[in-house]
Amino acid sequence: MYRQGDVLIVPVEPSAVPASAATMARQPRDGRGRLVLALGEVTGHAHAVLGPGELVREGGPFSFAWLHLPEGGKVVHEEHATIALPAGWFRVVRQREYAPGAVRMVAD
Amino acid sequence: MSSQLTGRPADLAVAHWRAVAAATGPADRATAEQAVRDAYRAAGLAEPVEFRWHPSPRAAVAELLERRAEFGASVRERVRTAAWERARAGALAAHGPAGWAALWATTGAELAATTGLPAERVRTALLDHFAPEPEPITDWQEARKPENKAVRALAAEQRGRVRLLLLDAVAGQHDAAWLAAFDTAGTGDAALAALAAAARQTGWWWPYERTVLLSERPAALHRDEAGRLDRADGPALAYADGFALYAWRGMPVPADFPARLTGLTPERIRAEDNAELRRVMLEHFGYDRYLAESGAEPLHRDETGVLWRIQLPDDEPVVMVEVVNSTPEPDGTHRTYYLRVPPGTRTARAGVAWTFGVEESAYRPQRET
Repeated sequence: MYRQGDVLIVPVEPSAVPASAATMARQPRDGRGRLVLALGEVTGHAHAVLGPGELVREGGPFSFAWLHLPEGGKVVHEEHATIALPAGWFRVVRQREYAPGAVRMVAD
Repeated sequence: MSSQLTGRPADLAVAHWRAVAAATGPADRATAEQAVRDAYRAAGLAEPVEFRWHPSPRAAVAELLERRAEFGASVRERVRTAAWERARAGALAAHGPAGWAALWATTGAELAATTGLPAERVRTALLDHFAPEPEPITDWQEARKPENKAVRALAAEQRGRVRLLLLDAVAGQHDAAWLAAFDTAGTGDAALAALAAAARQTGWWWPYERTVLLSERPAALHRDEAGRLDRADGPALAYADGFALYAWRGMPVPADFPARLTGLTPERIRAEDNAELRRVMLEHFGYDRYLAESGAEPLHRDETGVLWRIQLPDDEPVVMVEVVNSTPEPDGTHRTYYLRVPPGTRTARAGVAWTFGVEESAYRPQRET
């Protein structure tokens, strides 16, 4: 389990990835060839993965996503230290915050 | 036509339309008007006779309420909706239902929340400005009096009128999510390209047979990293004529709220009746200061952080984890931040684990930065 700011990256067994992930749309890479896990709207800073692999999102940009890195990779961000990831499947979770009657996303 | 939507890759389309949705400042009016003329022609209509520019959608609606009859019938269905229908049908035929859903997931869905919510806020603010709901009357006998019923009926009628005028609008830059999807689908449709060209310049616009009313984009737009309207010391969205929306992390707040945030004290925060506004006051005041000044006690401490509780009168307690950012700031210090967690949380680890939706026992990061 790895944490970079408001993003948690949890290794999972391939069997834990729902079969539907195989047919869901692959997130396109950004202009720099990275898989963007989370993007800051204002600064444009991103938690992004370098290296071969695929990212599948369950819903909108704030839902969780499945990340597959057949050869491992690294997560970079403009304000956080880089984290090396081993090969495998991961569940990517955005941090949230409790608000009475609602839940808000955290944006760092 | 130089701006056909001919199948730009999803990442480029999203980046482009993200910027369009957040653009502020005056339009290039000649470009916008030419785009609207193109949209009319592509819809098989005669070009509009007149363009009327307004500094805000509020100013446009004010004119519509007075002079709507002079502008001819609404042609929104033909200018905008027909083009969208063609584009959607075309994309469905080309990509299939699953393919279109996948295309939407990587394009429009990326922008839907950050463009849809501000648009909804503008719509609500216009309704409340031109057709405010009458003050509720709690005494049922009073409420049933004919004069009070008449006031409510009149207000409902006026709200209906304003809603209909809002339905005539094309959302301009706030259509960015759909345009990103169509951009990637690559329709090559001239009408859609014209709508896209208009969206790159303007806020909402109203197409009628002879007249087009256009609203400039906002003069200022303040958002947080998640794309929500957010500003503590002024309006989060402001138009040149003073029409403005106030919000804190996306939550609407009253216009005088920024003024109420200066000179806050723990006593004034506790005295605020509205729980949501009190929460904003707390965040603005700073949980750390509030904890220090109100003498709050930590509930629990472990290697993930500290769990705090603030008791509030007639409200659930505020329970927060205090977390230290793992990556040092440029000056070498570590930023401390506070995240609110459900009031039943018992340990700091359980609190941090909750913020990521995992079990307390499972939350063991090998590496944190």
